[in-house]
Amino acid sequence: MSLNLEKYDDFVEALEIIDDEDMRFEYIIDIGKRAKRQDFPEDWKIDENLMHGCMSRVWIVDQPDNGRHYFSGDSDAIIVKGLVTMMTESFSGLTTDELAALSIEKVNHLNLGALTTQRQVGMLAMLEHFKKLGHKTASNGDK
Amino acid sequence: MSGAAKISKISAGDNSMAAYDVERVRRDFPILSQEVYGKPLVFLDSGASAQKPRVVIDAVRECYETYYANVHRGAHYLSQRSTDAYEEVRGTVARFINAASENEVIFTSSVTESINLVAATWGRKFLQAGDEVIVTEMEHHANIVPWQMLEQEKGIVLKVVPITDQGAFLVENFEPLLSDKTKLVAVTECSNVLGTMVPVKQVIKLAHDKGVPVLLDGAQGIVHHSVDVQDLDVDFYAFTGHKLYGPSGVGVLYGKWDILNTMPPYQGGGDMIEHVSFKGTTFKEPPHRFEAGTPPIAQVIGLGAAVKYVSDLGMDRISAHEQGVMAYATERLKGIEGLKLFGDVADKAAIFSFVVDGMHPFDIAAVLDRAGIAVRVGQHCAEPLMDRLGVEGTVRASFGLYNSRDDVDTLISAIEKAKGMLT
Repeated sequence: MSLNLEKYDDFVEALEIIDDEDMRFEYIIDIGKRAKRQDFPEDWKIDENLMHGCMSRVWIVDQPDNGRHYFSGDSDAIIVKGLVTMMTESFSGLTTDELAALSIEKVNHLNLGALTTQRQVGMLAMLEHFKKLGHKTASNGDK
Repeated sequence: MSGAAKISKISAGDNSMAAYDVERVRRDFPILSQEVYGKPLVFLDSGASAQKPRVVIDAVRECYETYYANVHRGAHYLSQRSTDAYEEVRGTVARFINAASENEVIFTSSVTESINLVAATWGRKFLQAGDEVIVTEMEHHANIVPWQMLEQEKGIVLKVVPITDQGAFLVENFEPLLSDKTKLVAVTECSNVLGTMVPVKQVIKLAHDKGVPVLLDGAQGIVHHSVDVQDLDVDFYAFTGHKLYGPSGVGVLYGKWDILNTMPPYQGGGDMIEHVSFKGTTFKEPPHRFEAGTPPIAQVIGLGAAVKYVSDLGMDRISAHEQGVMAYATERLKGIEGLKLFGDVADKAAIFSFVVDGMHPFDIAAVLDRAGIAVRVGQHCAEPLMDRLGVEGTVRASFGLYNSRDDVDTLISAIEKAKGMLT
C-alpha cells in the first residue's frame, strides 16, 4: 500500500540532514515551541482526550472528515508537544485501514531512539493510540 | 567499622573539600567515569538508587564465582561458606546501626517489604478498628499504602502530620495527633522529595511517653548520616541496600527483639520453620522466622560490602561532605531566576526538588539528560506531597557521597541552558 505521507517524509528528511544529536533534539524542541503557538482549544484538554501512560499530559483528538482521520494533539511539556506534533502532522489524512496498516517501522525510521529510548517508546505508544482512536471514531459511524 | 574521627557539622562553603578527596572517592565507582551523549556523566539520582563502588561489585562477583550455594541447608563446603558470609553481614549491619543484637536484623527485599512485613504481622496482630497510625504528609507511598490496606482490612485510622509551606516537619503539628487511640507512629526519617529531616529522636520520645512504638522509614536517612537505633530507641527501622551503594533486591528491617518475638511469621515456607508436620508447624525465632525461602544471598553479601565501604569512609565524613556540597548547591539554585526550591528547611539532606517558571519538569529533565545529568522527574512516589505542594511533579536532584561542587556547577549551567532553549 503506497501512502501519501508528505509531512512524514519531510520530517524524515529534516532529521536525516541534521547529523548532530543535540541539534536533532533542539529541532524537536523548536517544533514544540512552534506548535505551542497554534491553537489547541482548552476545552479539548479533558480526561477523555488524555493519552494515558505518559510522564507529561498528552491530549489527542481525532476529527474525521470524509473517511479520513485528522489528529490534533497537545502536551504540557514542549519536547513532548514537539513529538506529538510530528506524529499528528505525519499521520493525519489517512483512512482507518491505512492507519491500521502503519507499522512501527514508520516510527523507528524517524530514528529518534538515539535521543532516548523512552521517547521512542512514547511515539510508538502514540501510533497505537492513533490506530485506536481511528478505529473508535470509525465504528462510531464517522468512517 | 569506621576509624574516622567524628566530624561535627561544618558550616556552608568550607567543608566539601575537607571531608575527603571526592575525586579519589569517585574513582571507586566505575560507572561514574563514563560519558553519556558524549558528555561526562553527572549522576544526581542517588535518591532513587545509588551507584555501586568496586568493592560491592567485586563482593557479589566473588560470591558467584567462588563460593555461591544456598544458605542454611547444605551439608557441603560451599553452602557453609555462603552461610557464613551471609550471616556475617547480619552482624555487620547490626554494628552499623548499633543494634543490641544481630538477631534484630531481618533481611528483606526492600524498604517496601520491610514496612509491609510490619503491617502484615505486627499490624494485623495488634491493630484493631479505630486504632490510629500516624504518618506524615511527606511519606513515600511505601509508608502510606501498607497502612491504607490495614485501614480497608481492619478499619484502622491514618492520621497525617501536616508539613509547613517550606516543607518542614514541626513537632507542634505532630504532638496533638498523639492520643490514646494512637497505636503506631510510622514516619520517614528523611523526605525522599524534600530532603527534610524529621526530628526523629524527639518524635520517638513523645510517642514512647504515650507507650506508642515508632517505625522509621530510613530509606533516605541512613545514606546521609549515621544511625544508632539504640540511641534513637526506635522500635522498627527500615532501610534498603540499593540506596546505600549496595545491590538492589535487599532491604533490612531492624526491630527490637522483644517486639519481633511477639510477631507472627510474615510469609510461610522453607527456612523459617523449626518443624513441619500436617498436625502443626512450629516457627523459628526472629530473625529467621521472617525470612522464608531462599534469601537474596549475593545481594546480602553485596550489602555487607557496601556497609563496610561507607563505614570505612565514615558516615560522619559523608555527612559533612554532602552538607558542604548541599550548601553550595542551595546557594546556586536559589540564584536561578524563576526557580522554586521545595524543602527550604534548616535540617535537610542533599535532595533538591524544584520547578522553574514556564518550564515543565519533564522538559527540564530531558535537557539535563542531554547534558549528561541524571535526575528524576515526576511525583517521586509521593503523590499526597505533590498535592500539598500544589504541583504535578518536580525535578529532583539527589546527591550522594560521590557528588562534588563541579556537579553542582554542571547542573546550574544546564538549567540555565534549559531556560534558554525552552522559554
